[in-house]
Amino acid sequence: MQRTELTPEEGWRTIHRTMAQSYSSLYLAGTGYILLLWGALVSVYFFALFAIAELAPGFEANYPWYPGPLWVIIGTPGMIGSALIGHWEGSRNADHSTARSAGLRVFAFWMAVVAAAFLVSGTAGLWSEDGAEKIPHVTIGIISLGYVLFGIMHLPALVVVGIGMAAAFYIPDYFAGDFAALGTGAGMLAVTLFGAAWIHKSGQA
Amino acid sequence: MNSKDIFLDETIHQPTRLRMMTMLVSQPEDGRLAYGFIQKTLGLTGGNLTTHLRKLEEAGYLAMTKEFVDSKPRTWVQASEAGRIAFTDYLSNLEKALNWPPST
Repeated sequence: MQRTELTPEEGWRTIHRTMAQSYSSLYLAGTGYILLLWGALVSVYFFALFAIAELAPGFEANYPWYPGPLWVIIGTPGMIGSALIGHWEGSRNADHSTARSAGLRVFAFWMAVVAAAFLVSGTAGLWSEDGAEKIPHVTIGIISLGYVLFGIMHLPALVVVGIGMAAAFYIPDYFAGDFAALGTGAGMLAVTLFGAAWIHKSGQA
Repeated sequence: MNSKDIFLDETIHQPTRLRMMTMLVSQPEDGRLAYGFIQKTLGLTGGNLTTHLRKLEEAGYLAMTKEFVDSKPRTWVQASEAGRIAFTDYLSNLEKALNWPPST
């Protein structure tokens, strides 16, 4: 049976806890779904890399820069989807502008992560013919770190997703040879589905 | 006078209703929260939430409005002016109770 009496100290703690919980739920509306959308898109990216290498072996030799435009093609629906999910989820919860801008905050966080990946790899001298193949190693590491940090702050399931994404990339990369992209795509998809199930079950999205 | 004489509004000073009022008054003055959002955030059943919302509504501390969005009903909840004043008074009295006895 629920208690109906509160001491003043309990009342004070209840107010602080509820405010934190309320802000967190309101301002991060849709975050889980947005990050899972990106997990799925990263999977598609790696499946596409594998399919191109298998089905059109000459393509990579003729267009060695193709992963860049491929990422733009895959990332554009991701950005639009993130904004829509954030806006839609925020509008369902509250009818004021702070809540509706939830998508913008998540978008800004991930743009900062992407910018960090770009700057770190550039500073390390990887934007060159010799270093280019190591760019995904740095990028995936930073993006995984983004998931882990975001998860620690707001959504524990994303800590596991972040670690899983790193494992899905580095393990096949080290062991799977020509099938690395396929292994990474499958691993990323598995991690994303696991995260989706966790978030759905806990109702934290 | 002792700390028990400090008046804490019983309508608000109940765990579930205190959480509801905290959520509502921490929104902008014209800000409304969706019924479903309050239910999910506080982890309450529909029946429990409705009972406590009605109690706060009867006290004049909040207003509920129903709208149709994409042909689906959506209930919005908003703290009233009286509710904000009552919550401010409650906080002030809670602070007194916490600091009892007052330092001289």
